[in-house]
Amino acid sequence: MSKPTDAEWKQWNEQGYLVFEEALSGDFLKRLQAAFDRCAEAGKEDFLQGIVRGETTATFYDIPGALEKDDVFIDLVDHPAYYGHLQAFTDGKVILLGPQVRMVPPWVLSYVGWHPDVGPTNPLHIKVQIYVNDVAPGAGEFAYVPGSHRPGAGPYPRVKNLEAMPGYKRFPGKAGTVILFNSYGWHAAMENHTGVPRKSIILIYEKYTEGRIKPETYVGIAGRLHTQERRRLFSLEAS
Amino acid sequence: MRIDAHGHVFAKVSAEFPRQVNEVMPAEHEAPVSELLGHMEKNGIDRAVLVQAGGSAFEHHAYLRHALRAYPDRFRGIALIPPEVWASPEDYMDSMCDDTGIVGFRINTIGGPLDPFAPVDVRMFDAYPIWRHAAERDYVIWLYVGARDAHLIAYLTDVFPQVRVVLNHLGVCPGEGKFRWDEKGRPRIDTPSYNPAFHTTYRLCKYENLTVHLSGQYAFSREEYPYRDLAGWHKSLLNHFGASRLMWATDFPWIYEAPGYGALCNIIREMLPDLKDHEFDEIMGGTARRFLRFPG
Repeated sequence: MSKPTDAEWKQWNEQGYLVFEEALSGDFLKRLQAAFDRCAEAGKEDFLQGIVRGETTATFYDIPGALEKDDVFIDLVDHPAYYGHLQAFTDGKVILLGPQVRMVPPWVLSYVGWHPDVGPTNPLHIKVQIYVNDVAPGAGEFAYVPGSHRPGAGPYPRVKNLEAMPGYKRFPGKAGTVILFNSYGWHAAMENHTGVPRKSIILIYEKYTEGRIKPETYVGIAGRLHTQERRRLFSLEAS
Repeated sequence: MRIDAHGHVFAKVSAEFPRQVNEVMPAEHEAPVSELLGHMEKNGIDRAVLVQAGGSAFEHHAYLRHALRAYPDRFRGIALIPPEVWASPEDYMDSMCDDTGIVGFRINTIGGPLDPFAPVDVRMFDAYPIWRHAAERDYVIWLYVGARDAHLIAYLTDVFPQVRVVLNHLGVCPGEGKFRWDEKGRPRIDTPSYNPAFHTTYRLCKYENLTVHLSGQYAFSREEYPYRDLAGWHKSLLNHFGASRLMWATDFPWIYEAPGYGALCNIIREMLPDLKDHEFDEIMGGTARRFLRFPG
């Protein structure tokens, strides 16, 4: 189980993010990539029809129901490469809000501009961005404004060109790279002009508060959550 | 100057003013320019944009051209392009804009690949020849496309950054099967509460030559006037585009009965109560005057 070093604690507190290169590798990564592609293919026609009906956007494809479809996505939620960090940063009270198993097509724009996900009055809110394929510079990589999570940071300009954001940092990476970030901070996906879709999984966590996630949310996978810790993580038991 | 940046006028069907008919525009129905002018006078609106309704053939534009000729300082016109000339639209577009007050063309499809992961060659898009000629002649593109095309707009806007583009009706791109006429004879579009346009048309804010209409609220809202469930969309558009790239419009005549032309003259104050005066002035006419080059 991972555990933050003193240097990582400092970076987390001051910068709001940590990068874990090669956090996923070998057979696990191959298993994840295969499951991702299989689930993406299975849901593709419904995705296209959702676009036609105006019910979903074409600029990213969230593969539905991944947790129910393959255990590798459950194993990702408490993966030892970073799960200990999540526990440490939330005083041992982390819960999963949800996964976004996301494929982002090349486009002339980014599908999302600079934004924080929540304000600082929200319980600590953490996202884990996991690259399933190699994400080169200019391939829709995640970007973050270091330090923007801190109380009193900003204000930050509403820039129309992503690259005009002062002080931002891009995070290209190899498949298996994991970026853990405080989502009080300003972040975006950069434009993807490479012709290669970005495949990534965004796991959304929060420090436990009572009633945040309804127990029925993950009841469909309850039979596959064999430890008390996992049941707490998926809000099937109180933390 | 106050400018209503989108609406329609049409006459009863006649030899002088032929047009297509449908369930909300039967042959005997009319929305004359005189009626519009009455509403404008009463509410202090100086100018308006007249958008063709009733068919895309050249002859179907007879009443629009008549209105533009009759009031050359009050109106600008937006025409339609018949499907059969889309592949080579140059002559048609030029003849339509020949000193008539018509400044651009409304199109409702882009005609590229639905699958966003498919390879893109923008020159193969159905709308490419129209956009190319608009770039050559400085015509305005008036856009109200379906959801399947929402992500394709950016490719053309990127290739032709000099073309002035106006996204109609809050930048919403209606889904197939989501359109109907309501009991008051108004268009009704069912849209999800989380608007997919946040990730398609709102992202077009990067292109400086693209503006958005604040209009059509009645068609999207789940509430009665003043449609407060759409306040977030308006605020988001303001944050993305800024007041200098937003245009107020009523979408006359569909709104004459409900909520009424006067009510829609107040919709911007209802939706964006914190606007500064200069921002309000931009949305209520400044943007349209500059962008569409209305005479001073």
